Amino acid sequence: MWGSTSRMLKKSLFSPAQPRLAETLETCRPAPPEKPNILKTLLAVQSALGHVPASTIPQIAQVLGVTDAQVAGVLSYYSDLRTQPPGRHLIRVCMGESCTANHGVRVLRAIRDHVRVVAGDRLQAERFTVEQMSCAGNCAVSPTVIIDEDFCGRVTPSDVPSLLEPYT
Amino acid sequence: MKTIRCYLANDTSSRASGAERLADVWSERSEIQLIRTSSRGAFFLEPMVERDTPSGREAWFNVAPDDLPRIVGGVGGTPITEIPFLQQQTRFTFANFGITEPLALDEYQTRGGLKGLAAVQSLSPEAIIEELRVSRLRGRGGAAFPVWKKWQVAQQSGSEEKYVVANADEGDAGTYCDRMIMEGDPFRLIEGMLICARAIGATSGYIYCRYEYPAAARAMRFAIQKAREADLLDCDEYPFDLEVVIGAGSYVCGEETALLESLEGRRGVVLAKPPYPAESGLYGKPTIVSNVLTFATIPNILANGGAWHASLGTDGSRGTMVLQIGGRVKQPGLVEIPFGLTLQDVLDRFGGGMAPGSRFKAVQVGGPLGSLFPESQLDIPICYDAFAEAGAILGHGGIVVYDDETNMVELARHFMAFTADESCGKCTPCRIGSVRGREILERIQSGQGAAEDLVLLSDLGETMKATSLCALGGRAPYPVLTAIEHFPEEFRRGVRARG
Repeated sequence: MWGSTSRMLKKSLFSPAQPRLAETLETCRPAPPEKPNILKTLLAVQSALGHVPASTIPQIAQVLGVTDAQVAGVLSYYSDLRTQPPGRHLIRVCMGESCTANHGVRVLRAIRDHVRVVAGDRLQAERFTVEQMSCAGNCAVSPTVIIDEDFCGRVTPSDVPSLLEPYT
Repeated sequence: MKTIRCYLANDTSSRASGAERLADVWSERSEIQLIRTSSRGAFFLEPMVERDTPSGREAWFNVAPDDLPRIVGGVGGTPITEIPFLQQQTRFTFANFGITEPLALDEYQTRGGLKGLAAVQSLSPEAIIEELRVSRLRGRGGAAFPVWKKWQVAQQSGSEEKYVVANADEGDAGTYCDRMIMEGDPFRLIEGMLICARAIGATSGYIYCRYEYPAAARAMRFAIQKAREADLLDCDEYPFDLEVVIGAGSYVCGEETALLESLEGRRGVVLAKPPYPAESGLYGKPTIVSNVLTFATIPNILANGGAWHASLGTDGSRGTMVLQIGGRVKQPGLVEIPFGLTLQDVLDRFGGGMAPGSRFKAVQVGGPLGSLFPESQLDIPICYDAFAEAGAILGHGGIVVYDDETNMVELARHFMAFTADESCGKCTPCRIGSVRGREILERIQSGQGAAEDLVLLSDLGETMKATSLCALGGRAPYPVLTAIEHFPEEFRRGVRARG
């Protein structure tokens, strides 16, 4: 996931994300006696921008009235918060116990191999981000792969090319 | 042509197994009207399509789009009452599953919903808690603490503000019953939380739902809105509101103090207890944190009486247990039965044996922190006491079966790596112990283990068990040490190879 990040980071710094960030942060500004909620704010930023660039930490801290360190601490703690933009499609392969018992690691390998092949094309490199996740709660139809928000169950390594094909 | 009503589950796992494709392909077909229900939990049969017959519903299993003519023609269906996997269960909390439309409040009510809430209107807070004491309900999230004791502490506090929080951070691998409840019968969770709110005098409630369950969060938000419109939330002099809050992928946030930290927007770090959340929880106010399944069990208890609940199960484990069978079995799915059946019986009757072509090696009960059982130890009854005596846990009811292709050293490494990833870092035994444990297992895995590594691992495990702040560090050694205990040869190979 950290492969093509420098290019991505540049892209995000120069993208017109700033007004959207400010807009999002306004909805998270605590109205006293309400207390600031860092996690909720970071999730809102991620939902608006696709990720939470580290460069936004001071601005977030200022709106919430907390320190930069507090924001950075929360941002680095939670695995579902990302500081780098993912590819157009996020593939999460479940490594929970039921998926492990059903040899989900073979599915992970097949996906990595497939994505590596298509990633030979420069444009394709921005298409997918592949991550492992702990239990997706889809254990009765494991192994599980989640593409964006689509849950796919009983995935076999040979399903992988057709599974990924619709996600362009 | 007459339109036939057909039923198809809209549960995440049903959709993941192909239900969504059926719904897409059939959306233009005028001969059927597709009702999207919750899932019965017999996931090995999904996608499963049902239709009404004069003698009740019939089902078609593992349906593909071109099976439609058979279903419309009524050919080859199986009466629901003749599916052994379902027939042998005792469903109370999951009684509506596969039958109702999850977000239809009227259906929930027609099938006995809201009776528990109606019953508490005439009860004092003390009387509600007494009913729970009689029921002998223990928390279903894993810790199995008597529910009434927690509620009593919060009830007796004089605080003006109190909170009720549903723990929907279902992180235990192999478990999915909370997800099913939120997606499939959300009003049951709301009803359970409202009963708790009445009992302790709570002013607001939160459902802390993990990030991985977007469909559950959507269903809950929709159901809360419907309940609000039906004036269920604000009841006479008790104003109450309910909100869904999303987590961000931290396993340890399933621990109640970490969950509350996270709910306040901070790092989900475990706090030392006491004070317990029932005394001082969210924003320092008395807070009841209970698992989704616990709350969902409560409406039936108030509707039918505590004595009814206490009449089910075994001495120390009253009521029903919701087991979620997964891994290499033929019939993975959700099972609700009274406590007391042996693990072997559960695997035989419901699991249906091993998946084709695989042989049993071990079964893990209770999620990633649960002990492993070899074939020779499956006669253990499913109840809290027997598991505690064996040094094991029922946890949240996850049962995962591993086949003989599973490498136990790799599995043990996987468990320790999980703890190392998920440790909140607050206490040293967990933070550092899990990393050292993983390193030792990696050494053994690569054949570079020293003879004393197994002793070191066992020593490390005992230290983590005795000194960790919460169950993550305290339970993490169990799957690893039981793997070594039952499959010592595999570990010795990694040690011996050094020569």
